Amino acid sequence: MAGNVEVAHRVQPTSSRLTLPKLGEGFAQVVPALILILLLFNVPLVIMLGWSFYPLETPLANYEQIFTRSIYLKVIGNTFYIAALTTVACCLLGYPLCYWMWRLSPRWRLIIASIVVLTFWVSILVRTYAWIVILGNDGIVNRLLLTWGLIDSSVSFLYNQTGVIIGTTNVLLPFLVLPLFAAMMRLDRRILLAAETLGAPKGVIFWKIFFPLTLPSLAAGAILIFILTLGFFITPAILGGGRVPMIANMMDLLINRLPRWELAAAISGVLLVFTMIFFAGYQWLNNRQQAS
Amino acid sequence: MTRALLGAAGLAGSLMLGTTLAFAQVSEIRMIEAGGPSGESIEVGYIKPFTEKTGIRVVRENPAGLGKVRAMVESRNVTAPITELSSSELEQAKALDLLDPLDWDAIDPAPIYEEAIDEYGLGWQYYSTIMAWREGEKPLTSWADMWDVDNFPGARSFPDYPNYILPMALLADGVPVEELYPLDMDRAFAKLEEIKDHVAVWWEAGAQPPQLLQDNEVQYVAAWSGRVTDVEGVEYTFEQGQLDLTYFAIPKGASEEAKEAVYQLMHVMTIAENQAAAADIVSYTGPSQDLDPLLPQDRITKYPTVQQNRDVQFFIDAQWWFDNAEEVELRWQEFKLGL
Amino acid sequence: MVSSRDARRKAPAAGSWTDSVGSWATTVVAVSVLLFLALPILVVIPMSFSSAEALTFPPPGFSLRWYESFFGDARWLQAARTSIIVAVASSTLAAVFGSAAAYGLVRGNWFGRGAIEANFLLPLIVPQVITALALYMYFARLGILGTLPGLIMGHTVLGLPYVVLIMTVAIRSFDVRIEQVALSLGSSWSRMFVSVVLPNLAPSLAAAWLFAFVISFDEVIITFFLAGAHETIPKRMFNELMLQVNPTITAIATLLISISIITISTLALLARRSGLLR
Repeated sequence: MAGNVEVAHRVQPTSSRLTLPKLGEGFAQVVPALILILLLFNVPLVIMLGWSFYPLETPLANYEQIFTRSIYLKVIGNTFYIAALTTVACCLLGYPLCYWMWRLSPRWRLIIASIVVLTFWVSILVRTYAWIVILGNDGIVNRLLLTWGLIDSSVSFLYNQTGVIIGTTNVLLPFLVLPLFAAMMRLDRRILLAAETLGAPKGVIFWKIFFPLTLPSLAAGAILIFILTLGFFITPAILGGGRVPMIANMMDLLINRLPRWELAAAISGVLLVFTMIFFAGYQWLNNRQQAS
Repeated sequence: MTRALLGAAGLAGSLMLGTTLAFAQVSEIRMIEAGGPSGESIEVGYIKPFTEKTGIRVVRENPAGLGKVRAMVESRNVTAPITELSSSELEQAKALDLLDPLDWDAIDPAPIYEEAIDEYGLGWQYYSTIMAWREGEKPLTSWADMWDVDNFPGARSFPDYPNYILPMALLADGVPVEELYPLDMDRAFAKLEEIKDHVAVWWEAGAQPPQLLQDNEVQYVAAWSGRVTDVEGVEYTFEQGQLDLTYFAIPKGASEEAKEAVYQLMHVMTIAENQAAAADIVSYTGPSQDLDPLLPQDRITKYPTVQQNRDVQFFIDAQWWFDNAEEVELRWQEFKLGL
Repeated sequence: MVSSRDARRKAPAAGSWTDSVGSWATTVVAVSVLLFLALPILVVIPMSFSSAEALTFPPPGFSLRWYESFFGDARWLQAARTSIIVAVASSTLAAVFGSAAAYGLVRGNWFGRGAIEANFLLPLIVPQVITALALYMYFARLGILGTLPGLIMGHTVLGLPYVVLIMTVAIRSFDVRIEQVALSLGSSWSRMFVSVVLPNLAPSLAAAWLFAFVISFDEVIITFFLAGAHETIPKRMFNELMLQVNPTITAIATLLISISIITISTLALLARRSGLLR
């Protein structure tokens, strides 16, 4: 019997439809969590999306408003733009860090990984305010640059798009680094060792073997960062100086201040469709990575 | 004489209510309020005497917002029978049919200003949006000065809320106070366009402007009075400030017993002595006509409603903001996207 | 097994000068990135011992007043208690439900698995304001709005995706044959899971639990909607920041950092055998 199961699992990634294992294996373990999420998330969300069709006489009026009054799409577009920049920043900063960590001794790896985890413990709020102290006109960085004579007047790092991206990148970087680093650790070092033994230069080994092997994880992490940025609220509110409108801030306006829930629900619907498309990409990359 | 009679009648009424409701009385009510020092002032100024008098506890919940009121009413589960609303929110809430009218006979208010008595709300706290600057900068006397970046150089920080800055733009453009409303939106936004490059931060949290001044991030701000009048190194003027009133209201569907308790609490809020205690915590003032002499005289200039400050300010037109709420907000977002 | 470090040590003969430049550059970049990550912590810790009324750096003088203001304020302590209760309860629930589900998703092979997996991740990708409003309405109708269990449920839903995400990856990399050996030797599934799978996946489970814990501990938006009169640390912090920038929050952050350093060191000592990040 055990052998049977084993066969089923072995062939699973490539041709799951050809062999039929015990029907529902593993399903029992999923059920409790599934009930939990259906009752506490799906049902409320569906009820809420139902709002977007109110009033029922003109069920599409809210959607029509989103697509005719350009401001909504512009804010969504601006949010995607910020999310894309944050994603690029996280990848460019996170990958070298992971690669470097990967090459360290186990002890140092642990220490560095712990430092990355530590950043989680400082509330987003506190970190956001810390950036004001660091990067403000009278902040540490500007004062240093001024005393060193590198600049004549303070550089405006904050209260603009740059400020928001610094803030979001700082908060989200660990979300890219930790899974990417874990993926690198799972790589079979023997492959690289073999290449090295065969006399391949390090640059070639990195670009031809290491990087392609870790690229799917990087891409998966990137999509995660992108999606997470879409929901950011506090950072743009404080570090954006009111100049960088993002969806969550607009939602807050529509939910708490106006309160136009029907419209907020419709925007949620639109946003949901977009995120689902990105998420499908994430799933696809993940599956491809597992298959390889 | 009439007042005394009314008062006596009210007293008798509440005594009667007290006896009939003896066993139906609630032991605790929830209040939704804005939080912060204003919340502390409610605790000290109003909740304490109220609980001493009635034995009913009050649990404060924050922050406030129209969203929460709508959720309570639509779910038919009014968990908090008393909730704080800004003046324009009050109008919106009325239009959305989210409130129950107040029984002013049951509240039986001590003498308070007329604008604080609304069919659906008790105006309980005045606050102003005023000009403030870093100590050492050239003092401003009008919004025209605020807009005059050549003679008053420095970065600005303005509210990220149209209702606290659009009227100021018109004043800066030379519109007389009495002709402010209905607001000329096009003109106001055009005036804002002029200065937007000098506005370093559009603030969202009331705590931001004083911090920005202290950090020397900006030199001039439009800020809520209570946030800047007590801050070291910050100077301010009430000149051409916009006076506003925030309200307490009862969400539609609150139980009768809870309402009775709320009316008693509201009565406590109209008493001058209690308002003075609250004003000691935060430099905002209650609506009592007898309040001024009770305020600490050394801090008297910090309060938005003392006569000398009241005279130089103008009152917000909440009705106009309600009528135009959505259009203004959309144009505001569009304006900011162009930043 | 030869570690890459040993391999590198032997390598220089084969490498060219670009290699050393490359690794030198990587180190510089990586250390800068690490500095960028840690910078907020590095300024927050000294500021927590500051004598100044506002957030200023460097601090003008040393004092413990912000720690006093935290420990001397019953409302901060109450907020801390609520935060810990909610975070521990919700992350534990998420870890238990989520890891079981992750196991089922990886080892199972039935129709609709992908869709269910995607569904578990939904709370992560739906902006939190939306979730907050949806839950607010729903909980109000169920009558659990403003209650601690309601808040815990809300946070559990938020933590679940992180657990599922981390645990599916971990279980996928765990050799299924080891489980089969245990099962074929007559062990029950639950026993096998507890005595074979869990110990091997402990580091990942710890990481997943930690993620869920932190998500709950730092959550503001959903808490604002669901918590009612309950206050958590971030909620109170946010309210404080709205009124005045109060350095007490830096003292709290520093306390949290110290606690987590102690926790991590303990975990590291315990998990030395198996290695932390598997």
